[in-house]
Amino acid sequence: MTQTVQPPIMGHTLRRVVFFLLALLTTLGAMGLMVSVFQTDGISPMELILLVLYAILFSWICISFWTAFMGFFVVLTGRDRWAISRQSGPALDPVAPKPRTAILMPIYNEDSERVFAGLRAIHQSLADTGQLGGFDFFVLSDTRDPDVWVEEELRWQDMVRALDGKGRIFYRNRPENVSRKSGNLEDFCTRWGGHYRYMIVLDADSIMKGETLVEMVRIMERHPRVALLQTPPVPINRESLFARILQFAGSLYGRMFTAGLNYWQLGESNYWGHNAIIRIQPFLDHCGLPKLPGREPFGGDILSHDFVEAALLRRAGWEVWLAYDLEGSYEEIPPTLIDYAKRDRRWCQGNLQHLRLALSGGFNALSRLHFLMGVMSYAASPLWLLFLLATGIDAYFQTRHEPVYFFGENWAPVWPVSFAVEMTTVLLVTLTMLFLPKVLALLLLLKDGRLRRAHGGMLKATLSVALETLFSVLTAPVLMLFQTKFVLAILLRRAVGWPPQQRGDHMTSFREAALTHGVQTLIGIVAGALSYRYVPAFFWWFIPVLLGLVLAIPVSMLSSSIALGHRARQLGLFLTPEETEPPVVLDYLAENLEEDEPVLPVLRERPASRFVQALTDPYVNALHLSLLPPREPPGKRRRHYLEGLIHQLEEEGPDSLSAPQKRDLLSDPETLTRLHALFWSRPPANAGILP
Amino acid sequence: MDRNKVGVAEPYLPPPPLPSSEFALARLGGYWRALGVSDPDQIAALSEQALRRAAESPESPGLDAVARALVAAGELLDEWLARALDLPRSPPELAAARAALLSGAAPNWPAALFAAPGEADTVLDALRAARAEPVPAPSPGAMPAQRIELFGSLNSLRRLWRPQPRA
Repeated sequence: MTQTVQPPIMGHTLRRVVFFLLALLTTLGAMGLMVSVFQTDGISPMELILLVLYAILFSWICISFWTAFMGFFVVLTGRDRWAISRQSGPALDPVAPKPRTAILMPIYNEDSERVFAGLRAIHQSLADTGQLGGFDFFVLSDTRDPDVWVEEELRWQDMVRALDGKGRIFYRNRPENVSRKSGNLEDFCTRWGGHYRYMIVLDADSIMKGETLVEMVRIMERHPRVALLQTPPVPINRESLFARILQFAGSLYGRMFTAGLNYWQLGESNYWGHNAIIRIQPFLDHCGLPKLPGREPFGGDILSHDFVEAALLRRAGWEVWLAYDLEGSYEEIPPTLIDYAKRDRRWCQGNLQHLRLALSGGFNALSRLHFLMGVMSYAASPLWLLFLLATGIDAYFQTRHEPVYFFGENWAPVWPVSFAVEMTTVLLVTLTMLFLPKVLALLLLLKDGRLRRAHGGMLKATLSVALETLFSVLTAPVLMLFQTKFVLAILLRRAVGWPPQQRGDHMTSFREAALTHGVQTLIGIVAGALSYRYVPAFFWWFIPVLLGLVLAIPVSMLSSSIALGHRARQLGLFLTPEETEPPVVLDYLAENLEEDEPVLPVLRERPASRFVQALTDPYVNALHLSLLPPREPPGKRRRHYLEGLIHQLEEEGPDSLSAPQKRDLLSDPETLTRLHALFWSRPPANAGILP
Repeated sequence: MDRNKVGVAEPYLPPPPLPSSEFALARLGGYWRALGVSDPDQIAALSEQALRRAAESPESPGLDAVARALVAAGELLDEWLARALDLPRSPPELAAARAALLSGAAPNWPAALFAAPGEADTVLDALRAARAEPVPAPSPGAMPAQRIELFGSLNSLRRLWRPQPRA
């Protein structure tokens, strides 16, 4: 199912020419200034390195700046004839069968209570539109933790009972999580994909309004050449200061940036992995992911599958759009700086893998650019670090250089030429390109009264932008060191060894902060002392970077504070429309999380272990058995292994078993039935376990 | 449950007691009560059936007489469910029916167990409605792995050397 290639549309080409020309000219201008500074006495190798690094980093900043600027222009004028939501398509056949859409939530050891509260909220919101009949829900579990697995099954059954969702709300746990999330979705597509025309892929913490889901389907129906429609997820629901600052930034700047992305990407946009609708047939035909040859980090499973799937769809001639003006698409973000860095660690390897794909045959130019942008979102950090180091070293050698005032036949002194004006211009241009988008986003609030009030009014929003800027200046060097460490660890095939990310709000302790940021603080102190001693003039320019590193521990701890997050909210700082005027779907989520009356009585209990409950409780045992996929009876060796685990459980209790061992026991129906009978056949060990 | 107190010398599950019919009846009684049967006469009748069934069943490795009786109790229930709901006797189907029975959807199911055919339709309808349906019927599709031609300096040279014919 490959699409015929359409001739390029003049409007699309014109936009791209304007955008890339602006980015190119700005980069060349800044480079010209740098070269004029360096070339007077010839360009030294160190200066050449600086020039190359600056060219790469500045072009990256330019793309970001002009994206924001174009977004500003689009939002300001309110005119965008190429927005996918506003393009007209062929008339729909009124008698054609209505499309069926599957809403997929792939999960992996997540907080089940939050997952199902979110899914219920989406279901409730969809029911409010009266269009529930066109949608089915799938919880696609790749969970390995035995306690979480059993909890998920109970929560699913409770949701089905509470919402009368039998035959509409489905659940399955994959026996093996082959190829992680992409394998999980592939499993859905190849087993049940034939029932549906579309799938809407969510993340475990995604929330979407029912109206948005209905609108996404409507757009897909109107545009049969579109295979994937991405909505921009707005960050919500966190209460720590760190998360509230990020939520504010995402809400205020995000709208402008996504409008800007759509300005030049148009039908060759990207897929961000969730909160997107996908036409299933082309996905089946073109998005089967191969394993890349070679070892990790560049070989093996494709980790950041979303970019690759979008590129494969484009390669087959299908369109991929970003519906930047569709509201009602939300996600939750990490609550602390450390959790944010942990998430980066997971994403970093997949994005670096894209370097190999960017140079592969067959993909179109914009897909390659998406891959390179993915790489640069992490590779930029080590490059910035190298740039800072090279600048420091170059400045040190400049201080060692004795100026010669008399040379040749000159009888009057020849004063060294000062390039302070050029260097200051380069710095100012760079800073403007980094910070002007924040001012532009603020200016957009002047146009929209409702949005202005929702962000706390112009004064509070301006103050919030100033504080957010200060915060991003302080945290940028910390993230630079984190990402540099991740990139190096991945390239050297070294594990960084961090525990799983915590999604819920929680405070960072001093111990955790000191362990995580101690080395960064030390680097800041040593770099500060060295630059102050050897390159004092450079030291003062270097202060924002040094300050971020030296203050990493207190900034990380304070920003994780929920109390400070609440206080900022009371003061009207970092407010977002989702906080000031929460949409109904978020109210549903809050109600579901607070609700303490599950339909299933067994959920009212909070046993120490759902694993033990699956062995002992007749209902939980039967439900779990009913959800196990059919499998071949175990072989002799496997039976002996399971037998050994049963004896271990009998003699040493459940805590002696590892999570994979517990999972093995829970996965075999015969063993489960036997353990259930064994538990009930013995006199209770104590009152807690059996009636 | 204080698992800290559980050691190797003191097994997590106490060793099986010497088989006695009183003990077996007590454990079976506890099990039936946990399933939702409260009438002592019904419990006695069901336990007796389970014991008889266990005695007739072949020895299973790793299961003593009481455990076998408990397995038989479950099978009794499954048998009734299969007959009453007209289900195929596949383990997942039966487990789903048993889960529906124990979910609280039909609290008066023990009465239906002893009722004459046709007198328990309400209970059976409730059980049919409460049976879990975890996934829809399969509708499979193929998802072939795509070919990605990775960059390699040798590949480029090879292409230069032997350019592919134009289509």
